[in-house]
Amino acid sequence: MGCSSGCARNADPSDTISVTWALDPSPPVTGAPMVARLTLRDEQQRPVSGARLRLEGLMSHPGMAPVTADLAERGDGTYEAPFQFTMAGDWILLVTGDLQGGGKLRKQIEIPGVRPASSP
Amino acid sequence: LNILQLPLAGPFLRWRHVRTALQLVLLIVAAAVVLHGLFGPQLAPRNLATVLTSIHWRGLLIVALAAAGNLFCTACPMVLARDAGRRVFHPALRWPRRLRGKWIGIALLVTVLFSYELFDLWSLPRATAWLVLGYFGLAIVVDVIFSGATFCKHICPIGQFNFVASMMSPTELRVVNMDTCRSCRTVDCIKGHHTQRGCELGLFLPLKSGNLDCTLCLDCVHACPHDNIALETRTPGAELTDPGRRSGIGRLSQRIDIAALAVVFTFASLLNAFAMTSPAYAVEQRIAAILGVRSEAPVLALVFVIGLVILPGLLLGAATIASNALDRTHTPAGPKGPARLASSLRATVVRYAYALVPVGLGVWIAHYGFHLLTGIMTAGPVAQSAAIDAFGRAALGEPSWSWVGMQPGSVFPIQLGFVLLGAAGSVALVRSISRPGDASKPSLASAPWLVLVAILAATAVWILAQPMDMRAVTVLG
Repeated sequence: MGCSSGCARNADPSDTISVTWALDPSPPVTGAPMVARLTLRDEQQRPVSGARLRLEGLMSHPGMAPVTADLAERGDGTYEAPFQFTMAGDWILLVTGDLQGGGKLRKQIEIPGVRPASSP
Repeated sequence: LNILQLPLAGPFLRWRHVRTALQLVLLIVAAAVVLHGLFGPQLAPRNLATVLTSIHWRGLLIVALAAAGNLFCTACPMVLARDAGRRVFHPALRWPRRLRGKWIGIALLVTVLFSYELFDLWSLPRATAWLVLGYFGLAIVVDVIFSGATFCKHICPIGQFNFVASMMSPTELRVVNMDTCRSCRTVDCIKGHHTQRGCELGLFLPLKSGNLDCTLCLDCVHACPHDNIALETRTPGAELTDPGRRSGIGRLSQRIDIAALAVVFTFASLLNAFAMTSPAYAVEQRIAAILGVRSEAPVLALVFVIGLVILPGLLLGAATIASNALDRTHTPAGPKGPARLASSLRATVVRYAYALVPVGLGVWIAHYGFHLLTGIMTAGPVAQSAAIDAFGRAALGEPSWSWVGMQPGSVFPIQLGFVLLGAAGSVALVRSISRPGDASKPSLASAPWLVLVAILAATAVWILAQPMDMRAVTVLG
């Protein structure tokens, strides 16, 4: 599985949940099916399970149709969703949802420079 | 057809406070843009600053220009703000003569377009808000120092864009009965009177021709004591071939600055659309590699120089030389030698440059219309979200993020139609310019210009067919 340049742990000071992410295949290209994979950990680095999460892909340019997917839990705090970038350019992935036992999760992941499928 | 005589539209446009009412609407929108841009989520697709400016304002502006007239200058909230400023500070100076003309406006228009690409303003809500505030500030400062509509006429880059595009608008303010004007002793249409100002842009209605420099403010309509001004429908673009002297403008053939504005308007339409395609990014990468730089600024600057100076210079230069060579009746006036040749070439390029405006407008509509049609519904959920940010509750309902607009693929035939319509307009103007009074038999001299129009239209279609690539690039490589 490839790991994008933003694969480092994304700790949000306002949140106790950290999210790492990866796209498969990587780097992503337009029009090709791929899998978005997120791993959630709490402050003690324990897997966060039982969350109901949704993934929304937005272009950096306003006015473009968002791409949405529900993330399915795969165990060990990992969540996956099939995903497809519809246009080349810079994308932002919004991860939103409810955590088990209450609480909301909202993370923003930047995916710069998604290339057209035909580009070298 | 005099639109001022129509039911509903007529009384509304004749209402003395119509402009203020329209300006207040846009002032509220501008306030929402600034507030949400500064304090809302810094996520471009979820912020009113970026959504309303990049999608709705640009799209509706160009559609209004083509379908009705210069309505966004009519409703410009900056004029309302500067009017408020003038209640406190009274302008005492006149704009310096040497600074008059369109060169400053052209430079600012190019600067705005360049900055938009360099800083990726479509992705920056806060920067967009500051840009709007800066625009208001500049308009107020200029117009509380200098009298008349100095900012509108000589500086405002959006205004210059609108002026060029409005030459293709289907309406124009005109005198109804010239005899009434001949017997008029007050000329309130330009001087105004104690309760109504006249034309601040120096357009004297009896001598006004066309829409250039007209902000459609309707001041002349309200000032005329004889009710002698109409908002008439007309043939779009016909004024581009009018060789006559115009009030506040002079002859188009003697205004190289306005011809340059028309050329920039046309080629910028292609450059602006090209900048959001995958090939543009590849070109930038290639230039960056050749120059050995990683910063976007010099690369983008070179792209702009190529797109707005070198290519237009080569294409218009070639068309001009070929056109003069093919024109058997061409007998340039003036001194002999290189000066005469230069004068002849200049006269030809200025004469034909205006014929490019329709194809340019077609490309602008195709580009901005694409964003408008594919994203027109996005204002709804973003406004709903902004209401939640502002009031802490869903005052406008829960955001419906699935509201977007037409599918991009379904818009392409519409884009193609506007480019071809624009190209057809340019062809008609080239024919008319080449043989005034008998466009059905264009001279051979028109051939190079028809080729140029075909090249521009084909380039536009190629650009629009490219995959879009919306990058906020700051570092190349």
